Amino acid sequence: MEQKTKQYEKIFLFLVFAFFYLPIIYVVIFSFNSSKSLTTFTGFSLEWYRKMFKTRTIMESIWYTTSCAVIATVVSTIVGTVTAIGLSKSRKALREAINQVNNLPMLNPDIVTAIGFMLLFTSLRIKTGFTTMVMAHIAFCIPYVILSIMPKLRTLDPNLAEAALDLGCTPLQALWKVIIPQIKPGIISGALIAFSMSFDDFVISMFTTGPGVNNISIYVYANVKRVNPTINALSAIIVYVITIVLVIINVVPMIKERKKKKNELQNI
Amino acid sequence: MKSFSKMVYPYVIWAMAMIVAPMLMLVLYAFTVKGNSVLTFQFTIDNFIRFFSDPVFPGVLWRSLKLAVITTVICIAVGYPSAYIIAKLKPNSQALMILLITLPTWINMLVRTYAWRGILGHLSMSGELKVYIGMLYNFLPFMILQIYTALSKIDPNLIVAAHDLGANNRETFRRVILPLSLPGVVSGITLVFLPAVSSFFIPKLLGGGQYVLIGNLIEDYFISTGDWNFGSAISLIMAIIILASMYFTRKLDRKVGEQEDD
Amino acid sequence: MKKLIEVKNVVKTFDNTVVLKGISLDIYENEFVTLLGPSGCGKTTLLRIIAGFLDATEGQVMMDGEDIAKIPAYKRDVNTVFQHYALFPHLDVYDNIAFGLKIKKQAKDIIDQKVMRMISLVGLEGFEHRDVTSMSGGQQQRVAIARALVNEPRVLLLDESLSALDKNLRKEMQLELKEIQREVGITFIFVTHDQEEALTMSDKIVIMRDGEIEQIGTPVQVYNEPINEYCARFIGDSNIIDGTMVRDRLVRFDDVDYECVDYGFDKDEAVDIMIRPEDIDIVPRNRGLLNGEVKSVLFKGVHYEVIAETASGTSKTVTMHITKNQDVSNEEAGEKISASSFYMDLEDVASLTDSEVIARANAQAWNKDDEFVSLTKVQYDVKPEVGTYPCSFTTDAGTTIRININVVQPQVIEDESNEEGIQAFDFYKTADEIKESVALDTDLIRWADAYAWNIEDNSRVEIWDVKYDFDDENITEGDYQVTFSTQGREIKIETTDRIEEGQKIGLKWSPEDIHVMRKMG
Repeated sequence: MEQKTKQYEKIFLFLVFAFFYLPIIYVVIFSFNSSKSLTTFTGFSLEWYRKMFKTRTIMESIWYTTSCAVIATVVSTIVGTVTAIGLSKSRKALREAINQVNNLPMLNPDIVTAIGFMLLFTSLRIKTGFTTMVMAHIAFCIPYVILSIMPKLRTLDPNLAEAALDLGCTPLQALWKVIIPQIKPGIISGALIAFSMSFDDFVISMFTTGPGVNNISIYVYANVKRVNPTINALSAIIVYVITIVLVIINVVPMIKERKKKKNELQNI
Repeated sequence: MKSFSKMVYPYVIWAMAMIVAPMLMLVLYAFTVKGNSVLTFQFTIDNFIRFFSDPVFPGVLWRSLKLAVITTVICIAVGYPSAYIIAKLKPNSQALMILLITLPTWINMLVRTYAWRGILGHLSMSGELKVYIGMLYNFLPFMILQIYTALSKIDPNLIVAAHDLGANNRETFRRVILPLSLPGVVSGITLVFLPAVSSFFIPKLLGGGQYVLIGNLIEDYFISTGDWNFGSAISLIMAIIILASMYFTRKLDRKVGEQEDD
Repeated sequence: MKKLIEVKNVVKTFDNTVVLKGISLDIYENEFVTLLGPSGCGKTTLLRIIAGFLDATEGQVMMDGEDIAKIPAYKRDVNTVFQHYALFPHLDVYDNIAFGLKIKKQAKDIIDQKVMRMISLVGLEGFEHRDVTSMSGGQQQRVAIARALVNEPRVLLLDESLSALDKNLRKEMQLELKEIQREVGITFIFVTHDQEEALTMSDKIVIMRDGEIEQIGTPVQVYNEPINEYCARFIGDSNIIDGTMVRDRLVRFDDVDYECVDYGFDKDEAVDIMIRPEDIDIVPRNRGLLNGEVKSVLFKGVHYEVIAETASGTSKTVTMHITKNQDVSNEEAGEKISASSFYMDLEDVASLTDSEVIARANAQAWNKDDEFVSLTKVQYDVKPEVGTYPCSFTTDAGTTIRININVVQPQVIEDESNEEGIQAFDFYKTADEIKESVALDTDLIRWADAYAWNIEDNSRVEIWDVKYDFDDENITEGDYQVTFSTQGREIKIETTDRIEEGQKIGLKWSPEDIHVMRKMG
């Protein structure tokens, strides 16, 4: 596919990227604004960051969001991995059935899934709160984990586990020492998807949480009506964290690669 | 390795309780009026009759569908050329561009939409236009990523083969690249159309409250009005419309693939 | 025949690596030309330059006397069958084949006519609307050929096109391809690394190596008269022997002169001599041109492949001391330890490490449950001079065993006529170690530290044979002789006669069966 990029193509791409980054840059700039205005920049200050750290509800929402995402990621990754491995050895009918069921939360609009959870919890008379929110998050994350692991399992040599058993592994050891390392990339990407889905979730959280328990999304939704530049500071911090994390994820392997090449050159 | 298959059972039970049961509850509520007890279950389609005979609701549904369709079309119109240009770059620049497109999608949707509120807040344009900008902003990256993935999967030998058989660049695009990238467009549509129909916070944050969509309707009936039966019915109608349209999109994809010649 | 394509001095470099080093080649109308060579020899690059997918760095490709460098791939009168076929997965058989014609905007009925004719040429009637991705390799191959041929190219290029097929199908397709080529009457340029394919189908074979052409000729020419060792090895089975040219029609190897029909070499010029295995006859001992002993006989279906040794290799005999079991047991800790004394080369003393001492002494300790226990202390003080030095191994629990390390001068045997040297050392073992060995020859080589090398360039020479006359199942204490030797002159013969291993035979051939080649530069 590699071809020369023409001038107008470059301009087009530039405009698309400008569209993507305009609001992000805007939020970051105005998080440093000294006044409450969202239209004119009156001077540099860290006022809104200070305010943000002092607002208890914001700090709570960050805590709830993070802890919920961590729990949901750990649980859904473990359950998803175990289930995916089991599915790869199951009868086709069961596999198909589970796939269809997993499609429900993935194809249904979030709001429909969310209402389903809410109806379930209230009719079982379970009090909604942090626990119900985490359960709902686990429930919608597992299908994505399974989805990202299954392709890796499908390309796995079916004799691998048998070879491990043949060489004296117990089934559990075969799982841990042979199969899991082979599907590790799938597990990691599944965990990343689960974390970001849970961290970013708004709709399902809103319908499954109880009074007093808000995540970042719910907080933003509830407080956006009034002019409130602390949200700018909060958004800006999210932008910083994600940028740093993504840069590390993508740049570190590149540096490692370069070092490796350097070492190889020196060894010659 | 049959013993591994037992590892599925815990999830089967979990999926029954947390995925199947909620959906059954939704259906149950949609077909009952008042009262949420299974014991006093009384089948009725009143909720659906009420929805379609109302002067307002079908209009809202129509508006939501229109918004989703137009959003999807714009996403394809902007996303396809973007993905195509990226797929032609050198491998290293491709990786960088894809990273730059992925980055905003990692930022919370609410936060991203909120950011536009700041910019658009003091511009005088219609609420509808602002909603469109918000929609495009939220969903365009998914469209680009899907189409890009499909394009980058095309075996370069096929393009060489097309040249070998006498096709110039334009013909190669029309007859080989475009049809082979259609699956990417289809999965892009799935990722854009589906959340776009049900979206309720983008119109609420950017549309200034006047712009009501079906998602807002559902939210109202559950959070403010408290009529869960009617809310469930609306959700069910929306879910069915979405699943049906997904089904037809996929079918269309196959047809287009078959007809792509003369 | 008319000259169709002229490749003139084509050079191709990728990022400073030269892939083609000035290729010149004429291809005629109606010819089936095969570019033959191992992967990386540049044959595919040459094909892609002719197809127009790559530009030559230097040189020209002419078609009908005109330089075609400026003509893009899609306008050339040349079509390609790709290695993995590159069929369009979104189109069915019919539409794949019709692709080129539709691009040329031919009338629908003409397209239909041409496509159907091609479908019957490649034998795919009834498969017109099959999905290409679900077809077998052989069927995909036929679609790919039809898709290229329907455009009526003047040259069809085939890039390793049969390599993805299994053996039987490949043979079938070889015949079919040749048939198709005769029928459509155009030039085929075929790229392969399979010599059999090349011999079966080609009018002309081009043998390539490292971006250069080694030999061009008909299949019979390249088989019977390869110009050098490389070509001889690449095509068919052969015995290739280093020799010298005594004078015209007389060549010498292993100190004996043999008549041949080759001439035009310098006096005493070093040459490679090729004798095909099927040209050698087995005769009774002393009745042939030279004598040998049969080392192995392999049944190959139509014939036996016999390996005969006609001159022995370089050998060295050592003494193996079988000693009684010297395990030391430590009742207190419930441990046992064992190790053997060993001989070592004076030259190796400088680089001796603990783990090497453990390995050479085969030191090991184990507990009541037969689990291995680590040797945590290894003590020795070996000086770089001939002598006997004590050495001890100890475990954590204090179980200790003492052995001797005998440092000796290496005893090298050099054989001038073979240009080889060999060395090996005496060694100590217990009867149990011999009995427990699962690969005794390999273990003996390792224990004796036997090593052979080429005197000229010091390269390693494989120890080919280990001879001993003890019964390894029932060995007792005592001294035994073990002889290590390198490979001698071995000659491969194809015969339909039944021959026994170990049989002494004579070998015979006629002067014209010897083919003398110049040494490669």
